[in-house]
Amino acid sequence: MEALTEIFNIGAGRAASSLSSAVASTVKLSVPRIELYQIEDLDIDALGLGHKRLGAVLQSYAGPFDAQAMLLFPEENALEIVRDMLGSTMSIEDLSELEQETMCEVGNIILNACLSAMADVLGVTFEATLPSYSVESLETLLRNSIENPDQPLMLVLNIDMIIEKRNTQGFLAFLLSYPSLDMLMTHIDSFLGKI
Amino acid sequence: MTSDSTIKTLLITDDSRVSRMMIRSFVRAAQPNWVIVEAESGPAALENIARGAPDFCTMDINMPGMMGTEAVQLIREQYPEIRVAIFSANIQESMQLKAVELGAKFVPKPVTEKTVAQAIEFFLG
Repeated sequence: MEALTEIFNIGAGRAASSLSSAVASTVKLSVPRIELYQIEDLDIDALGLGHKRLGAVLQSYAGPFDAQAMLLFPEENALEIVRDMLGSTMSIEDLSELEQETMCEVGNIILNACLSAMADVLGVTFEATLPSYSVESLETLLRNSIENPDQPLMLVLNIDMIIEKRNTQGFLAFLLSYPSLDMLMTHIDSFLGKI
Repeated sequence: MTSDSTIKTLLITDDSRVSRMMIRSFVRAAQPNWVIVEAESGPAALENIARGAPDFCTMDINMPGMMGTEAVQLIREQYPEIRVAIFSANIQESMQLKAVELGAKFVPKPVTEKTVAQAIEFFLG
């Protein structure tokens, strides 16, 4: 798990760098923690996101192992991110109209940055679906995830990406199956064997 | 950056309206004389080019219907004079190598003044 944490740390670092460029602000990272849960047994309070509504970007990745990646921001912060990315001269109406597309773009950039770092370190290649964006409670997101029996595990990269000028927190999580987890660990073992 | 006073045409191809807006905005600031047209997909870009080839083209990769790499391949085969910059959030090394193989410039997203400047430098180089 230590190697997995380090690889995700590299991924989160690249993701933070991309986010920093997008919103023109320093992005700070907390020390990452990897936690693995069975989704149906997950205690939502343990994730530390409370019960507020979240802006969620979802994107599926296929490669040597498959996963669904989730980038989560508190709902009220999503519009702030959109404003930072598009500039403060736009009206609130225009920003709201572009919120969904912009958050898809932000999520696409951040999730791709994270997964690409992992791919490059492990020497593999992923393909990604188009991202989708929705605003839901964490309970609803997880309930929808439980409905997918193919991915019963949630690998939570408990890392806060804090956009300094807004004090906005982002949160990354990955849903995957047992075979995918096994394949991921196999690739990590292979990587460790080479160094 | 010095503005090239010659009128050029740039085709921006991206399924994201936001990305197209941002590329357009930064290019407009750097090259106010350029004509900018847009396409939402690879097939739309190819249709646009068939009506009148632009000088330059930006291309996203992950789009519905046709991947940007396939569109770039077709453009390079049929219109080798068009310079293509691939703008993508997929920054895996494999994708960057693919761009080189296709004779295109790889530019990582997010779209910023700096990354658009990289594309313009390639176009004018």
